Amino acid sequence: MKKENKLLKILKGAGEYAFSIGVFILAWHLYVRLNDVPEYILPSPDKVWVSFVDLFRTGTVWPHLWATTYEVILGFIIGSLIGMALGYLFTKVEPVKTALMPYLIFLQTAPKIALVPLFVVWFGIGVVSKIILIITMVVFPVLSGMMLGLESIPTDVRNLMKVLKATKWQVFSLVEIQYSLPSLFSSFKIGIVQAVIGAIVAEWMSGKQGLGYILTYASSTYEVSMLLAGIVLTIILGIVTYEIIHIFENKALYWHESKE
Amino acid sequence: MEVTNTVNIKHLDKIYSNLLKEDTVALKDINLEIKNGEFLSIIGPSGCGKSTLLKVIGGLEKPTRGEIEYLDKENRLGFVFQDSVLLPWKNVRENAEFPLVIQKKQTKENEERLDALLELAGLTEFKTALPRELSGGMKQRVSIVRALSYDAPLLLMDEPFGALDAITRDHMNEELLNIWTQTKKTIVFVTHSIGEAVFLADRVVVMSTRPGTIKEIVPIDLARPRNSQTRNNPKFSEYTGYLRGIIG
Repeated sequence: MKKENKLLKILKGAGEYAFSIGVFILAWHLYVRLNDVPEYILPSPDKVWVSFVDLFRTGTVWPHLWATTYEVILGFIIGSLIGMALGYLFTKVEPVKTALMPYLIFLQTAPKIALVPLFVVWFGIGVVSKIILIITMVVFPVLSGMMLGLESIPTDVRNLMKVLKATKWQVFSLVEIQYSLPSLFSSFKIGIVQAVIGAIVAEWMSGKQGLGYILTYASSTYEVSMLLAGIVLTIILGIVTYEIIHIFENKALYWHESKE
Repeated sequence: MEVTNTVNIKHLDKIYSNLLKEDTVALKDINLEIKNGEFLSIIGPSGCGKSTLLKVIGGLEKPTRGEIEYLDKENRLGFVFQDSVLLPWKNVRENAEFPLVIQKKQTKENEERLDALLELAGLTEFKTALPRELSGGMKQRVSIVRALSYDAPLLLMDEPFGALDAITRDHMNEELLNIWTQTKKTIVFVTHSIGEAVFLADRVVVMSTRPGTIKEIVPIDLARPRNSQTRNNPKFSEYTGYLRGIIG
């Protein structure tokens, strides 16, 4: 009974989603047709669809899609690990937090796009400078999430671990990580979106690979339908990576009030 | 001299100092012998340091002066907090088993004793339930079983039923006495309810406030086993009346 309701709810949600997109595409199509909008300004949805399919049919998109996905995943994982480690260190060793926090806030508030040319000078136009930009965008939200999670552990849970004479590792692996998961997953979801943005921006600026490069290429050659197809692809990449995190979250937080 | 009491507390002081070096004396010259297998209640107004005393006995706070001797050389003890502090991602049995996991003592014997304790606490049917599916009284039962799971001789309880409604609380008191009789533990029970203290204890330690000192220790001479009838016994009201008088 409960499961059926859930399935029905998902189907209903998907239906509403499809309807809304359908209406949007129809409106777009009619606008272009009725106003005779030239193709180099706004192509009709079917033209964009043809470009989109062509990207895959000719196989041109694969190395670019792979390059961006690779950067996003690697940058996200490294950035998350650094963020979690720093978050743990900051909550445990107050002086480290006092010493390093100002730099991190500086890094977080500075427009990181402005740092890309610097990264290019330091790390070249290859994949390294892009991954480093992504890391700088992922570290801060994950660090904040980790600290919030660790600080949310009830005092008596710590007291319980003390009474049981648990080792530091046991406290970390059996209690602290679990209590941090709800806020960590919130920050992972922010982080993965940031990672996709970081990858695209870095690819605009340098190199000849990635979805960002497809966008700049299409823009400079006035192939607007290819540009729009590229934008759709980046959106899809963003949604897919976000949903993967979401699936992990549902698996890991089965016990949390929000999943009731 | 051989130590025969579960815990001996001698001339214990606990002083909190803040950055301005202003001292707050939480406990002053506490002398207390906790006997083997007894049920001891500690009662007093808020701020009298009864919870602090329990934390010091439990090793969660260090005494400023004085000493504590334990009969159990490894100083094993169970602690039941005001809140059940169950881990929300673990089910009832996993929560109760948690100390055995930490101490790597998941022997067949311990696992069997754990199941017997869950049975004793009426939790057998709920072994696979998550904490969020349980009532307040049920959660606190799990937390008591958890504290007993590793068979420590001493059980410290810090107002464990304070958040429960009066009816559930009376039930829990009777169940606790039942568990105590069957497991033969020494229990130190902090409460602010005079009725609860009298109903449960062999002796009631009355504390007074600022600085926290022991005002009087009152032996409770009520027949065991005690049950719901005990509360109607005229001697029960005599004790509660007397204690109300000295707490003031």
